[in-house]
Amino acid sequence: MSFAERMLRIDRRIIFLLIGVCTLIPLLYPVGLAIKVSSEVRGVYDYIEALPEGSVFLLSLDFDPASKPELYPQAIALLRHAFRKNLRVIGMTLWVSGTGMADQVVTQVAKDMGKVSGKDYVFLGWSPGVSSLIISMGQDLYKAFPSDYYGNPTKDLAVLNGVLTLRDVNYVVSLAAGTAGIETWYVFGKDKYRFELGGGCTGVIAPGLYPLLRSGQINGLIGGLRGAAEYEVLIGQKGRAVAGMDAQSATHFAIIGLVILCNSFYFLIRSGKRRGEA
Amino acid sequence: MSFEMILGAWVATGLTLFIFTFLYKDNPLFKLAEHLYVGISVGYTIVKAYDTVVVRLIYEPMVKQGDWSLLFPLGIGLLMLARYVPKASWLSRIAFAFVVGVGSGLAIPRVISSYVLKQIEDTVRPLASMGSDGLTFTASVLNPASNLNAIILLIGVTTVLFYFFFSIEHTGPVHVAARTGVMFLMISFGAAFGYTVMARMSLLIGRLGDLIEYGSPQYGYPTVVLGLVTIILLIVWSRRQKTRPAEHPEV
Repeated sequence: MSFAERMLRIDRRIIFLLIGVCTLIPLLYPVGLAIKVSSEVRGVYDYIEALPEGSVFLLSLDFDPASKPELYPQAIALLRHAFRKNLRVIGMTLWVSGTGMADQVVTQVAKDMGKVSGKDYVFLGWSPGVSSLIISMGQDLYKAFPSDYYGNPTKDLAVLNGVLTLRDVNYVVSLAAGTAGIETWYVFGKDKYRFELGGGCTGVIAPGLYPLLRSGQINGLIGGLRGAAEYEVLIGQKGRAVAGMDAQSATHFAIIGLVILCNSFYFLIRSGKRRGEA
Repeated sequence: MSFEMILGAWVATGLTLFIFTFLYKDNPLFKLAEHLYVGISVGYTIVKAYDTVVVRLIYEPMVKQGDWSLLFPLGIGLLMLARYVPKASWLSRIAFAFVVGVGSGLAIPRVISSYVLKQIEDTVRPLASMGSDGLTFTASVLNPASNLNAIILLIGVTTVLFYFFFSIEHTGPVHVAARTGVMFLMISFGAAFGYTVMARMSLLIGRLGDLIEYGSPQYGYPTVVLGLVTIILLIVWSRRQKTRPAEHPEV
């Protein structure tokens, strides 16, 4: 058996180990590679930056703990930005399995920024229906959510003063790990109630959302951990996403190297066989 | 640091390490973590759904606020349970008809408007721009709105559509168009796969980041302790597997 053949039959656990080491070393000893901000992430940042104080910002955390590493840093960065701009923040989720985590991130960031529940922000929690919930919010926010996550009547909350429907919301950002998410908010929300919509998503679903970005159906897109790192750079508060970028680059290099090596071995074996046949 | 935080760190670390053991091979530790994940997810969803739907959206408005109009949707919803009673199962069709009817009515026009019409509108873009200086052509690949990108988009959409014409034979110019379409599809799949790799690596980074954080003394070194425990358990299990006689020996 030739060297190339032996390499192509290598125990896959060695590859797992290599990827693990390539991820772990940069996390322990970060290099601090430069992060260039893309126009799609800047689209979300610029819109929030341009909103006047007191504007209504709705963040829909449409993911569950399985997507936490990618979307949690995005949520933290967006909430920090919104609270720093003194926007009125409405948090909610379309994913029942993500309710507790969504509450945790909204409450934690608000606490860190010295914001008060009911006055500066509200977490509405989860309600069933997805598409019908968004339509219901577009007709009457108080009927869709009679109370917030903690059972306080929404009509009594200062943060919702003057916010009767989705038409009164200045900007909606959906952080989505799939459906229901950005597309649902566009189809049943923005298309009818005419608010501006931005998105954040996992890397897996990002390519499918680029057509919405190009056509202007969403005004910006934060894609995966990379997008979160770009947003952290924009707000000037580096967090876990920026810390993970060195590891991300190292693993990508390792994978590209493995792809090139495997293809080289494959073509070596094939050319060897052809020579043998001749 | 609170006891809940430390306990949470130990549970998270243990379950992460148990799941990672699958990289060695399928084993009881992985199965335990997998079953716990499925069970807890379902249990959490049921409790949240019960609390939100039954308690907050049905019981409290009806009993505490006297909004008895909710009996109508509640009745329709309950009809779905009639499927479990063979003689009355036909009643569930009323509920399903309501759901399908309303759902389709809401979704079809919106989806056509958002996905079909809006995307067609975006695809049909001027291949050259007419400005005050006359006819201009922008050739920047990096600018999504450039005329060059409009041409690439047009070629991509047209050739991919040609590839999916199965009612005509792919020969001559149609073959060339279809092959070009395949190339566009391959580039699209490659981009999607690249993003998927990035996403999976991000998940790994997230878990390893937590393991590093939980390896600190303030949590009581759960990563180190549970890492060693996991390795020992795996070695013991692996040895037992080797020494164990085959369960179904061949006769």
